[in-house]
Parts: sequence; C-alpha cells; structure tokens
Amino acid sequence: MEAKLIKKAALGDIVKKIAGQKPVYAPVKEGSKVHFKFLAKGESPFLAYANSVNAPKNLFFPQTETLMHYTKTARGNELVEESETFSEMVLFGVRPCDVRSFKLLDMVFDQKQYSDPYYVEKRERTTIIALACRQPPFSTCFCTSVGGHPAQADGADILISELDDDYLVEFLSPKGEKLIKLFGDLRAADEAALNRKKELSDEAVAAIKSHIPATEIKTWLDSNFEHPFWDSIHQGCLACGTCSYLCPTCHCFDIRDEAQGDDGIRLRTWDSCMYSIYSQETSGHNPRPGQKQRWRQRLMHKFKYFVDNYDAISCVGCGRCVMSCPVNTDIRKIVNDIAKLN
Amino acid sequence: MQKNPYIPAPVKVEKIITEVDTKDIKTFRLDFLNQEDKEAFTYLPGQFAELSIFGKGESPIGIASSPTDPDYIEFTVQKAGVVTTALHNFEEGTLMGVRGPLGNSWPLDYLKGKDVVLVGGGFAFTTIRSLINYMLDDKNRADFGKITAIYGARNPGLLLYRDELALWQKRDDIDMHVTVDKGDENWTGREGFVPTVCKDVAPSSNNAVTLICGPPIMIRFTLPVFFELGFSKENIYTSLEMRMKCGIGKCGRCNVGSKYVCKDGPVFSLAELDELTPEY
Repeated sequence: MEAKLIKKAALGDIVKKIAGQKPVYAPVKEGSKVHFKFLAKGESPFLAYANSVNAPKNLFFPQTETLMHYTKTARGNELVEESETFSEMVLFGVRPCDVRSFKLLDMVFDQKQYSDPYYVEKRERTTIIALACRQPPFSTCFCTSVGGHPAQADGADILISELDDDYLVEFLSPKGEKLIKLFGDLRAADEAALNRKKELSDEAVAAIKSHIPATEIKTWLDSNFEHPFWDSIHQGCLACGTCSYLCPTCHCFDIRDEAQGDDGIRLRTWDSCMYSIYSQETSGHNPRPGQKQRWRQRLMHKFKYFVDNYDAISCVGCGRCVMSCPVNTDIRKIVNDIAKLN
Repeated sequence: MQKNPYIPAPVKVEKIITEVDTKDIKTFRLDFLNQEDKEAFTYLPGQFAELSIFGKGESPIGIASSPTDPDYIEFTVQKAGVVTTALHNFEEGTLMGVRGPLGNSWPLDYLKGKDVVLVGGGFAFTTIRSLINYMLDDKNRADFGKITAIYGARNPGLLLYRDELALWQKRDDIDMHVTVDKGDENWTGREGFVPTVCKDVAPSSNNAVTLICGPPIMIRFTLPVFFELGFSKENIYTSLEMRMKCGIGKCGRCNVGSKYVCKDGPVFSLAELDELTPEY
C-alpha cells in the first residue's frame, strides 16, 4: 500500500483527467441535490458534498437492466446471442458506508454456486475511489453501530482522506495502484500526515452522535417473530418503497418481459418487500398479506436473516431511509425500541 | 466464465397431454435443442425449473419426469397466470425455454434403506410422481424398502397420470392407493378423503419416512394421522411453493425466515420448518 499527498485544490483536476481516459461515475450537483452521474468530458465532480441522495449501487445493479434480448423467428421467440463489451470504469467519491454496501451486495450476487454475471462483471471492471468522512455528513449517520467507520473503507481500491491543506491518498489494491500515474505530482505521506489522518479519523468517529444497538437486538429477533411490537411500526407506512430504493444494501428485484413488435427484452428492475404484490402468488395467497408482515420482513432481513446467512448486518448506517421516509419512520428508533424490550 | 444462470436453455414442446377433465392441467414434454444443455440438466426428483416463455416471463414448476427417463423432461402445469396460460395455448413443436434444475430434491440419500410413504392431493402430485418413477426403476428399486403411495383428488376427472396410476396399482413392489372425495357412476375405486385413507392404510412408522404434498387443508388433517402412527417431525417431509423470480436466491421474495425456498428448498422436513418462521 502506498500513501501519498496531494494539494487539496488539485483533486478536481485529477478526477477530470481520469475522466478523460475512462468513464468516471462521480457526485454531481443537480439543483439542490447531489447524484452520482457519469462525468461529461471536462466536467468536474462536486467535491463539497455530504452524500448522494441515491446510493451508488445502481452502477453495478441498475434500477432497470436488460438481461437479454429475444426476437420472433419461424420456430417461436428465440434468444438473440450477444457479444458483451467490457469497459473499465471508475467510481469516484464513494463514502465509506456505501463502500461497505458493495461488500454486502457481493455476498448476495457473487456466490460460488450462482454468480450473477451482470453484477459481478461491472463490479470487477470498476475501480472504487472512496472519500473518507472528515465529519459525519448528517445527524442521521450511524455507520459505527453497524460495523462501519467514517474514515475507513475496506473494499475500496483508493481511499482519499481530507487533511488540512492536503488530501491523503492511499492506494489500497493493485486496481487502485494502476491509477497512480493519473494522479500526477504525488508527495510521499510523512509520519505527520498519517498521524493527522488518525486524529481526524478519531474526531469523525466521536462526532457520530447516533448510536443503535444493531447487533444486540439479534437475540430478541431470533425468538420474537410473533410479538405485539410488530403491530406498532407499520401503522404510518405508505408502502411507497422509498426506503428500499434509496438503501445501498437492498437488492431485491423483479424480472419481467417487455415486447415491442417481434422483438423484446427480459429485464430486471428493483423491487421492494414493502409492496403487497412482491410476494403475492398467482392463486391470490400472500405469505405476507399486510404491511405489518412486510415491515417485519424488512427489519428481520437486515438485522437477523442476513446475519444468519452471511454473518453481517445488511445496513450500513447511511441514514438515507431515515431522511427520506415521507412519514418519518426511523429505523434507528425501531431498533432502539426493540432493545428496550430485551 | 460460469454459465449465465439467467439464460434459459431452448427446448421444443415435444408432446402435450391434457391430464384432467377440466382441461386446465396439462403435462408438457420438452426436449432440449442442444445436446450440451440436455447433458447439463442433471436433476433429482423434487427439484424444479423456471419455464421460460419470451414475451410472457417465467414460472417455477416442479419437474414431473424422472431422471431415469433421460430422453425428455416433463412438467405438469395448471393454467393460472400469464405464463401458464400462454403455455396452455401452445401447440406441439413450439419453442420455449427452461432454466434449471433449481432447488434441492426429495431427500434421496436419507430415504435409502427405509420404507417410503408418499401422500399427494389433487394437483400436488407432480414431483412425487417423479420420485415414484425414480424409485421403481430397476436400478434403484432395491435401494428402498416398502413403498406406499396414497393419492387423492376431488373426483375421478381430476386425477393426474391415470394410466400410470393403473399400472402402479397392478405392481407388487408399490402399494398404491387411489381415492376420490366423491366418485361418479363409472368409479369403482376407493372413496374418501386423503387423511381418512391414510388412517385406514396405516403405514408403519418403523424405519419409515413420509413425503406429503397437497393443499393446506389436506396437510392440516393428514399430519395428525402420521403423528399418531408414530412418525417424527424429522421423518415427515413436504415441498413448499412461493412466488419466485430468479430461482437462485438473489431476488429476495421467496424467503421463509433465513431460508430461500428456491435455493435451500423447496423440500423441507417438518423439523426444519419448525425452525423457520411460519410465513409461507
């Protein structure tokens, strides 16, 4: 691993330079909101951002993705064989919580028995440049409660941390090191810079005021599938699915076909366990018939089922669902309330 | 690179058999277009596959044929939704797709050396039929003890696989009981509900395993009979159904607690189901 320093003012141009060579997906300001977008040639990323409205997962797992094409032939509808094109990409400016979400999504999509080629290929050809949080961007941040850290980014190829006049740039993987030459004039990071990083990192951790007993509630969840508590959390829910769509770790999807004349596509789209039709069977039977059951599923999946299967909580503490829920349902409050039942 | 698990293998509908008098359950015999797909489709009784019709979608259906008949695969399908309705409108020779095999299977290793009691109700007899044909195969029959099968439908016109049922009833290496809730003027067989017939037949629970598939109401009244006969929850198996899309444990919707029916099931013992949430 190599640690280098660059002047703060230089970062925007470096990203611009990388974007001249390969597609760069980076935070861009649109109106009052920040979204991840592919940078146009000559466009700079928006560096003074807290975090994006949407999680960057859609780079690997797009909201709508064509899985295959088919066409009508004399024998019936047949698959159109396609040769796939691969281009390398750079994902710049990912916050540590969102970097962690990729590790969690990998557990689902990159399995030994069934590897998801659409996700895995995009993931493998992407270099991830993380930007550490000097301060937690929002009061709703709780990454440290769910195994994360505001200034560490396990899974990133390059980690950039803001110091006082400089950025500390750490090249964490061979994929990251390949970009070294595009960073131009790099100074070796001295002891003082590394110490300063540590100081700021500790400050960032201390600045996170939101803490939830995310691990501790597992034992209660293990034995309380039936409990009056579950009647209390879904009452305000509109089943809009915003929480799932903004969540960096939600990975449920639907597969459907769309036809146009003799041609068509099979595509997958994001789905949400908050929707009644999600588990509705053709017979009319629905194993999760009400919003109560669906909310229980959402919470159980993140804090119990995923832990059972992958030994990790399926939440990175980004706070997006808390900030954007139209009825102010707060997953932190739910977890805290469960802890009180313990 | 690993094969893309979302791409269906092309198959031709070789033969369509209308199974029931109401004509809404048909068996589709499919043949792979490519030899390598055929060879890759190695399955065991109890597994399922996604039947794929471009332009309509996919539907997860249990495999009704037995791997001991390697020339083709068969699926018995009830006309219910978009995909199955399109399938029912197919003519022989039409091209479609199959994705699989998916899921676990009936616990064949566990069944070896034991008596096997199979209970099916109505339409839920397709993967049991696969297992019966598998166990009755000359190469496999000696691996299993006494085979008892109890199969019921509401009326004679709703029984599946009638030719095979008749053949099995004539054999002495399977004790086949066919029943209907109510017979018609031509019916000479047994009348009575499946739980009652199970009670009459009273298979021994000694070194025996039972596999039960049927509508929830049948299962509800059949289970107490088997408990009374001394079958433990470890020796009672069933197969679950859930809405599915991917079939490979990623799209999320078919979980029962921490298990995915598509990947960890569809076959579970009652003891295993007790460990899961009652959400199916």
